[in-house]
Amino acid sequence: MRLLLAEDEKDLSRALTAVLSHTGYETDAAFDGVEALELLEKNDYDVIVMDIMMPRMDGIEALKKIRESGNYTPVLLLTAKAEVDDRVTGLEAGADDYLAKPFAIKELLARVKSMTRRNEMYAPKNLRVGSVTLNIEKQEITSENSISLALKETKLLEFFMLNSEKELSTERIFDHVWKNEEGAGTDVVWVYVSFLRSKLQAVNADIEIVGEKNGSYMLRSV
Amino acid sequence: MSEESIYGEYKQNLERILNEIVAHIRRYTDEEYERSGTKLHEHLIARVKSEESMREKCRRRELPETPYSALHELTDSIGIRIVCSFIDDVYENVRLIKSFPSLEVVTEKDYIKHAKPNGYRSYHMIVKVKAPFKDAAGNDPGEYFVEIQLRTIAMDSWASLEHKMKYKKNIANSDLIVAELKRCADELAACDVSMQTIRNLINYS
Repeated sequence: MRLLLAEDEKDLSRALTAVLSHTGYETDAAFDGVEALELLEKNDYDVIVMDIMMPRMDGIEALKKIRESGNYTPVLLLTAKAEVDDRVTGLEAGADDYLAKPFAIKELLARVKSMTRRNEMYAPKNLRVGSVTLNIEKQEITSENSISLALKETKLLEFFMLNSEKELSTERIFDHVWKNEEGAGTDVVWVYVSFLRSKLQAVNADIEIVGEKNGSYMLRSV
Repeated sequence: MSEESIYGEYKQNLERILNEIVAHIRRYTDEEYERSGTKLHEHLIARVKSEESMREKCRRRELPETPYSALHELTDSIGIRIVCSFIDDVYENVRLIKSFPSLEVVTEKDYIKHAKPNGYRSYHMIVKVKAPFKDAAGNDPGEYFVEIQLRTIAMDSWASLEHKMKYKKNIANSDLIVAELKRCADELAACDVSMQTIRNLINYS
């Protein structure tokens, strides 16, 4: 699991990063809203923990921009203000949950865990990038034609579509799609990227997966 | 009158042209097999349309039952179907067929890349061949049409099932069957594409 932490208080950020990393979240720290957005442009995250009060761009503003860009990664807002209005504004801007400072680390971890669980349950049934629609339930892509996908091809394309125009390393893809699978090696990524490439061509897609064997890949428009 | 062939005096020309094109296909197929061990097609069906179905087709199209209708209004008196193991072989056959001397492509439709809404996939070509004898339109050398269909084994078995469906009336749950046939076409296409990809991975690794 990959987590983005946006928190301007250096000490708190350091402490949280240590705990989160220790718990198994690969954590990147941003220290203001602008930096958080920059990291989101480049990387894919499973969950975002964000302070409201930050320099350059506050958490609410950053959150609005994240949602406007079509990114539905769960967001937990940290708020120093215990005001009801503040919490409501946050939730309305697209936050999934909030936590008032000061908080117990245990509670933060529990909330992050609950949000990532929910993310898997409420994943959308259809994804669309360019001319291509992926129907996750039917395991099928449609553009000019339609063609069936294998289970792993569906998961892989879903991951690419949720992170289009972003570079995804072979390791990152492997961890996401083949995690905990016995006997699987990272070679499988290249094989399945090859399958998806042929199938995207077969439906006359206007998107393609670029990248070399064992390197990073990116789904982008042709 | 019905004793006489609808193809008139041109009937044997059709057989000759058919045989020559088939010989051309077999020649390049043998050459490729010797060079790389690849069988460019799995099987091939070549036929001159039967007297009966040609007359029936003329009636259906409201054309007089004459050699001119059969050979110049309609284009499928000579038909060849090439069935391949892999998708790329289909395209290789298309390329090599075009090298037949004095052959001109009249129409070409790639229903593999652009599948029909019901899921039908195949590559269709209508070509015109110049032959050193006259034709029913009075040309000498004459011009003869040949219809060529190319597809994979999977596409071929799907097409034969779909054909049965089309000509059988009053099928129960026909909407459901049409939808399931479409799904099946997409799954077969998925297999064809995956097999081609695996073949490429084997060849280039």
